[in-house]
Amino acid sequence: MRTPLLPLLVALAACAHHGPAALAPLSLPREGMAFPAADSADAVHLLDRFAFGARPGEIAHVQEVGIRGWLEEQLNPSRVDDAAGDGALQPYRLAFRDPADLYADYAPAPPAARADTAARQRQMQGTRELAGAVMMSALARHIESRRQLLEVMTDFWTNHFNVFMAKGADRWLTADFVERAIRPYALGRFEDLLVATATHPAMLVYLDNAQSVAPGSHPPAGRPAIAMMPRPGFAPMLPPRPAPAARAEAGLNENYARELMELHTLGVDGGYTQQDVIEVARILTGWGIAQPRRMGVGRFAFEFHAWAHDYGPKTVLGVEFPAGHGMEEGRTLLHLLAEDPATARHLSHQLCARFVADTPPDGCVDAAVAAWQRTDGDIRAVLVAIAASPDFWAPENRAAKFKPPLAFVASAVRALDGAPDTTARLVGALQQLGEPLFMHLTPDGYPDAGADWLNSGAILTRMNLALALASARMPGVVVDLDRLSPVTSDYDQLVRNVNATVLGNQGTEHTLQVIRQQIGDMPNAVNARAMAVGLALGSPDFQRQ
Amino acid sequence: MSPDLSRRVFVKAGALSLVSLGFDPLFLGRTAYAQRVPARSPGSKTLVCLFQRGAVDGLSMVVPYADDWYYRERRRIVVPRPGSAPDAALDLDGRFGLHPRLAALKPLWDAGQLAIVDAVGSPDPSRSHFDAQDFMETGTPGDRATRDGWLNRCLAHDLEHRDTPFRGVAMGPQLPRALQGTAPALAIGDLQAFGIRAPEPARDRLTAAFEALWSGTETGIVANTAAESFEAIRQLRAANPSQYRPADGVAYPLGPLGRALLQVAQLVKADLGAEILFVDVGGWDTHVNQGNGANGQLAARLDDFGQALAAFARDLGERMADVVVLTMSEFGRTIHENGDAGTDHGHATAMFVLGGPVRGGRVLGPWPGLAPEQRYEGRDLAVTTDFRDLFGEVAARHLGIAQLDVIFPGYALTADRFPGVLA
Repeated sequence: MRTPLLPLLVALAACAHHGPAALAPLSLPREGMAFPAADSADAVHLLDRFAFGARPGEIAHVQEVGIRGWLEEQLNPSRVDDAAGDGALQPYRLAFRDPADLYADYAPAPPAARADTAARQRQMQGTRELAGAVMMSALARHIESRRQLLEVMTDFWTNHFNVFMAKGADRWLTADFVERAIRPYALGRFEDLLVATATHPAMLVYLDNAQSVAPGSHPPAGRPAIAMMPRPGFAPMLPPRPAPAARAEAGLNENYARELMELHTLGVDGGYTQQDVIEVARILTGWGIAQPRRMGVGRFAFEFHAWAHDYGPKTVLGVEFPAGHGMEEGRTLLHLLAEDPATARHLSHQLCARFVADTPPDGCVDAAVAAWQRTDGDIRAVLVAIAASPDFWAPENRAAKFKPPLAFVASAVRALDGAPDTTARLVGALQQLGEPLFMHLTPDGYPDAGADWLNSGAILTRMNLALALASARMPGVVVDLDRLSPVTSDYDQLVRNVNATVLGNQGTEHTLQVIRQQIGDMPNAVNARAMAVGLALGSPDFQRQ
Repeated sequence: MSPDLSRRVFVKAGALSLVSLGFDPLFLGRTAYAQRVPARSPGSKTLVCLFQRGAVDGLSMVVPYADDWYYRERRRIVVPRPGSAPDAALDLDGRFGLHPRLAALKPLWDAGQLAIVDAVGSPDPSRSHFDAQDFMETGTPGDRATRDGWLNRCLAHDLEHRDTPFRGVAMGPQLPRALQGTAPALAIGDLQAFGIRAPEPARDRLTAAFEALWSGTETGIVANTAAESFEAIRQLRAANPSQYRPADGVAYPLGPLGRALLQVAQLVKADLGAEILFVDVGGWDTHVNQGNGANGQLAARLDDFGQALAAFARDLGERMADVVVLTMSEFGRTIHENGDAGTDHGHATAMFVLGGPVRGGRVLGPWPGLAPEQRYEGRDLAVTTDFRDLFGEVAARHLGIAQLDVIFPGYALTADRFPGVLA
């Protein structure tokens, strides 16, 4: 008679959610790192890649503290006062209520109660509010937080460990996932991040591992352990509630096992086989979740279901996992994957693609891999290696990446010193650009390379958003152009202002010339300013980073 | 909030560097258009590709009800034999039956406008959505170095019609891999909202201003993409496709697919020179609670799919004589149902070919059988028709492309390999 459930649950909960060790203070050596002197072009480049673009004043700040100083500041986020980021979050705190409480308050009514139209509308309204708050809890901080590198890395890892907010219980779990499994580890050790995502209910739901059990196993009597929660709404993405008979006969599900290796760690060329996928799925059987039994009772949590685990022997990537082991062999597996050289190379490549160039130069990737291996996957060390790599500063890699939708929206609002207006309407901009947060269905996340946004529709949408923002008509954003660039009838001065504020003084001659021409005959100086700012935000110059 | 069921295109970071701003030889060849609206000759052919992202379960779409193994391997998600139950398969040819929720397609089958190719797929063994979609879109299974899509190469084969920006159009916010490449192609989320949004006369002025801004020193794909946009705006305003309402009595299903196909129909009717149109439809990755003939997520997706295609065919009416709709999916799903009353990633699937030129009413492609020894790697439906044989037949016989080795490099494709969907 096995009844190890409860103690394991307790142990695991402690292990999964004891929280990250605080980041140790990190100093960069004063000598020997190849950072440029930080002229304004260097500062713009740094802020385009290691932040979501420059806010007014930040270029000057980088020049004041130097590249090394700014990086050191950002790599020690607790040293950066972030009242701004905390404040930006306040209107969206709904997203961070306990997932079980969100479920209790926002889950759709049972079918019997759905005839009540008013109640149904309230429910749908609630669902929209919650989804908006979850998206804005990320976007508002990307825009307003002073801990910009933490924001950039939170975005990077959220996309790397993609979950889809509209799948089942992930509606209640996605904000918690980002807050507890991603953000605390975004500048930490990769293995910690991997374990945190692997054990978070949002991932276990998203890639179906919560439903993967050893073939032939059965839950103990009276314990319908999986897929119990009513999961209405969001049709057709949601499977209907399984009939009781269907639940009795469950089996192996390879979904998480495959993506764990293909996307999260080794990469598709990482040397694993279909048999490895099956073996990994077997090792991870029983990695499931606890969920509220009914409204108001119980919490969402990682839970190891010993009854569902396959205790037989397995072999992954040639490494033997002897028979008779439970939960801990999954942890061993994650360690194995985290320390595999293929993982170091796969992740280094992705980081360099994000920070340096869509096709990352070998030198930079090699430097990142070396830092990864020297430090067992310390993310900060890898970022420093990238920033110190000559490839990062090479002229051909500056302004050479096309901003992804999120970078475009965040950097445009930041350039105008704007802020979300406490509503969630700004998420509509990302929707229009095809990349609403947490709504990427498939586990690869939104692609990073420019080819994917570079099409006509996308370029026109950016122009429209630029115009809306410049004329203070962008839903969900507060901007104060008077503070940024006071109305002036001296249009040469206006173009200089716009170049300085929007384009970091990096506008091309052609862009500045066209803007000057276009406003030349405009009698109304307010309209001319909106036109100048809108054209600058919608110019090719601003689409690059 | 409407879920954006984005396609799953995985562009390997190392494979593409389209924003190297003019240093990319592949895209240097891409030029903007002469500014004239093309006169489209009557009888010009249109191909509509519909990608079922996520790997549709071909065995549920087109039920091999004569194969006993289908009923031995599936129980909770099974579609019953024709006539044996209320939600049974709709018999096609004594061997195969349509999923009952695809009933809207049955009249097209009966009229000989719908052919099915079964056991079709990729020779590559990958069960990764990303890889398999990528391979199907580049047309080079197993070769990750291919940079452009097979549909883009189709567009590039014949430059006679290159002066329309609408020759290749994807309905959606992003251009799929299949349409990326040297030939211009457009992504249009919404025909009516395409352009600079402002009241007249500000709109014209703003459009001109942005056009000037983007036509400067910028070179390469960025500049050309922008140039395409402005040309497309001009032509769309002149042709005003939204004036074309659906034919009497035709109602597209609500939802993204119905909306996309309605707009495809409008583009075709507007005679803007649309030759290759592309639509994505997601939601097929049914790992859990796939459902049976009556209910479940797959039944709901198929219902939408069948109704949208049927509405499209009725809406175009006689114009279907020049239109072929080709459906595709990156792979099929396991023969055996999994522990969650779903199916996992498999190998071969089924594809539909619909339209006036189609020799329909037939299930084509050798049936490999579902018995264990007949399976691919012992578990999945084997591929007996390489997807390039089907795509190549459509390219050759519908679009009139002679050089198939350009469309599918490295693949020796001759007419004897065609499954025979077109006359």
